[in-house]
Amino acid sequence: MTLAQAVPGTRVRVVGRNRGRRHEANLAGLGIHVGDEVIVVRSAPFDGPLLVEVPASGVRIAVGRGMANGLFVEPADE
Amino acid sequence: MSEAAVPRGLEGEGPLVALIGQPNCGKSTLFNALAGFKANTGNFPGTSVAFTRSDVLVAGLPMRLIDLPGTYSLHPYDAAEQVTRDFLLSGQVDAIVAVVDASVLSRSLELTLELIETGLPLVIALNMMDDARRKGITIDVPALEARLGVPVVPTVATRGHGVVQVALKALHASRTRQSGILPTYDRDIEESLGTLIQAMPAELSVRMRVPTRFLAARLLQDDEAVRQAVGKAHPEVLTLADTQRRLLAEMHDWPEESVFSSHRHAAAMDLFEDVARVVRRTRDGWRERTDDVLMHPFWGIVGVVAALGGLFVASFFVGDRLAGVVGAPFEALMDAIGDRADTSLVWAMTRGLVEGLAGGAGIVLPYLVPLLLLMSFMEDVGYLPRAAFLIDGLLHRIGLHGKSVIPLVLGYGCNVPALMGTRILETTRDRVITALLVPLTACSARTVVILALVAGYLGPLWALGVYVLNILVTALVGRILSAVVPGHAPGLLMDIPPYRLPPAGTLARKTWFRIREFLVEAWPVLIVASIVMGALQFAGADDWLNGLLAPLTSGVLGLPAVVGVTLFFGILRKELSLVLLYSALGTANVASVMTPAQILTFTLFVTFYIPCVATIATQVREIGWRWTLVSAALNTGVAILVAATLGRLA
Repeated sequence: MTLAQAVPGTRVRVVGRNRGRRHEANLAGLGIHVGDEVIVVRSAPFDGPLLVEVPASGVRIAVGRGMANGLFVEPADE
Repeated sequence: MSEAAVPRGLEGEGPLVALIGQPNCGKSTLFNALAGFKANTGNFPGTSVAFTRSDVLVAGLPMRLIDLPGTYSLHPYDAAEQVTRDFLLSGQVDAIVAVVDASVLSRSLELTLELIETGLPLVIALNMMDDARRKGITIDVPALEARLGVPVVPTVATRGHGVVQVALKALHASRTRQSGILPTYDRDIEESLGTLIQAMPAELSVRMRVPTRFLAARLLQDDEAVRQAVGKAHPEVLTLADTQRRLLAEMHDWPEESVFSSHRHAAAMDLFEDVARVVRRTRDGWRERTDDVLMHPFWGIVGVVAALGGLFVASFFVGDRLAGVVGAPFEALMDAIGDRADTSLVWAMTRGLVEGLAGGAGIVLPYLVPLLLLMSFMEDVGYLPRAAFLIDGLLHRIGLHGKSVIPLVLGYGCNVPALMGTRILETTRDRVITALLVPLTACSARTVVILALVAGYLGPLWALGVYVLNILVTALVGRILSAVVPGHAPGLLMDIPPYRLPPAGTLARKTWFRIREFLVEAWPVLIVASIVMGALQFAGADDWLNGLLAPLTSGVLGLPAVVGVTLFFGILRKELSLVLLYSALGTANVASVMTPAQILTFTLFVTFYIPCVATIATQVREIGWRWTLVSAALNTGVAILVAATLGRLA
C-alpha cells in the first residue's frame, strides 16, 4: 500500500518509492528514508498532506498527498 | 560550484566564517546573537533566503560572518539551497560554523558529514540543547568531538549560551585550517571512491578548490553541477563514475541515485547511536494538545481564520487607541497652521513637513507596531508551517503549491521579504506564480490604509471584509494563473518544527528592527514627499497631475480628482497615499469630503494597484523584467476592476 492509504495513528515502514518522483523533493534530506519506520500522526483536510513522524530522529514532516501516493509502505509491528 | 560563481563585495578584515545548517535549526538566531540582531529569524523553514553579512569583533578580533540560507543537504533542491552550496564551494570561506539542531541530531549529522567532506575548517554549534533535553536526548559532546575531529560547542542561541565560544573556536579553526575526520563507508563504497580518485586528475581538485575525494563522492551521487564541471575536460571520469554507481546499486540492490546517500545516512545513524542516549520519549503534553486543536481538520481551519482575523482586529483596536492619543497633538498643530498655509511657499512646505511627521507618527506607527509584533509572534512560535499544512489541500485545488502559503502570508507583513521567500519553492513555475500573487497581498503599509480609512470611517467589519476580499481575489488570480502557466505543482514536503515560545526580548528586538526599517527608510520618504506635495500644491502642479489622472480617478473610479496625486506618490510607498490624502483633500476628516463608497473604492484601488518601488525592484531581481511588467499590468488591471465594480455596487 502507499503512505496515502495508511490510517492516521498507525506505524508503517517505508519500503520503496515511485521512481518518477525522485527529483521532485528531498525526502531523504528531510529525514525519511527507505527502511525507516514512520508514524502517521494526522492528516489535513481537503485531501491535504499527512503529518508524519520519524520516531528514530524525532522529526515531523508534512508530506503532500501526491508525494504520499508515491511512497510504498507496509504495516510495522508496534 | 562553477568557477564563475565567486560572490563579490565580500572584501573586509578577518576570516570569512559561514553559518550553515538545516532550516529552522536556529542558525539565524545564532547569527543575530553574534551580529547584534540585524537579520530576521523565524520558526519556519526558509526565513533567510538571501545571505546576510555582518562584520563582528570577537574578543577584539575581526570576523566576516555570513548567514547562509538553510539547506537539508549539499544536494540543492531549491534556489535557496543552491545559494548556500554555491557560496560554500566558492573558495572564499575560511571556516564553517555548522549549526546543528540537537533535538533532531541524527538528521543533522548527515549534513555535517557532507560538510566535513568539503575539507573546510569546521566548528559545530550544537544548538537547541534545551529542546534536546526536553525530548530526553543526552549527547556525549566529547565523544562527538572525538568521532568528528572538530570542536563541538553546545549552545542555546535564544539565550545567548555558548555563542561567544562558537565564534572563538571558528576564529581558531580558520587559523589552524583544521578540518574534520572524513567518514569511512562500507568497503564497496570506499573501493569505488578509490577507483574514481585514482582516475581523477589533480588539476580538478585545484581548479574547484575542494578535495578530490569530495568530488568523487559527489559524482557517485550523480551531482549535476559537479558532473558538468568535471565532464567538460574529463568525460572519461564521468563514464567511470556512472559505471561505479551502477555497480554499487546492483551490489546493494538499491536505487542508483540514493545508494551513496543511504550509506551516509547509515553512517550518521551509527554515529548518533554512539554519541547520544535517548532516555525517555514522553509525548510533549501541551504541545501535543495544542496541535490536536490547531492542526485538527476542522478546528484547525477555524484557527487559521481566527488567527488572521484576530491579527487585524487586534491591530485595529490597539492602533485606533494609539492613533487617538499620538495623533491629537499633531492635529492641534495642523489646525494651528492650517489657516496660514496657502499664503507663501515656505508655509505650504512647512505644512507638508508637519503632515509628513503627523502621518508617520500619528497614523502609520500606531497600526504598524501591534501588527508587526503579532506577526513576529506568529512567525517565531511556529504557526506558519501549520497553516501551510492545513491550507495545502485547498491551494492544490486551485493549482498552487502548499509552500506558497508561507511567502503569501509573509506578504501581508511586507512584500519584499515575501518575494525573496519564493525561493523555497522547487519549480520555476511555482516561483513565478507566487511572485505574481505576492504583490496582491495587502502588506502592512496597505493594512494601515485599510485600518485608518475603511475601519476608521466605515467600521472594523468593513475592513475585515476588504481583507477577505483581498484573499479571495488573490486566490482567484492564483487559480487563473495556474491554469495559464503550464506545469503542475509538486507535492508538499515540509518540516513541521515544534512550537517554540520566543523569549520576549527576541520578539521585541525583531519587531523593533522592522519598525526601525519604517523609521529610517520609509518615514523620511513620507516627509520629503509630503513637503514636495506642499510645494506642488503651492505651484498648482498637483492640478496638472490630477487632470492627467482624472480619466481614471473621476472617470472610471468615481473619486474626487484631487486624489490623483496621492495615487501617483503611492507608488513610492503605499502609506503615502494615505498621508497625502489628508493634504490633498485639505482636511483630516476624510468623511466630510468623500462618501463611504468613495472611501471604499479608494482603499480597494490602493490595496491592489502597482506595488511600491521596493517591491518592484525585488521582483525584477527575483523573476526578471518581463514578469515584473506582467505583474504591474496584472495589479493595475485587478485594482481597476475590483475598485470600479465594488465602488459602483456600494
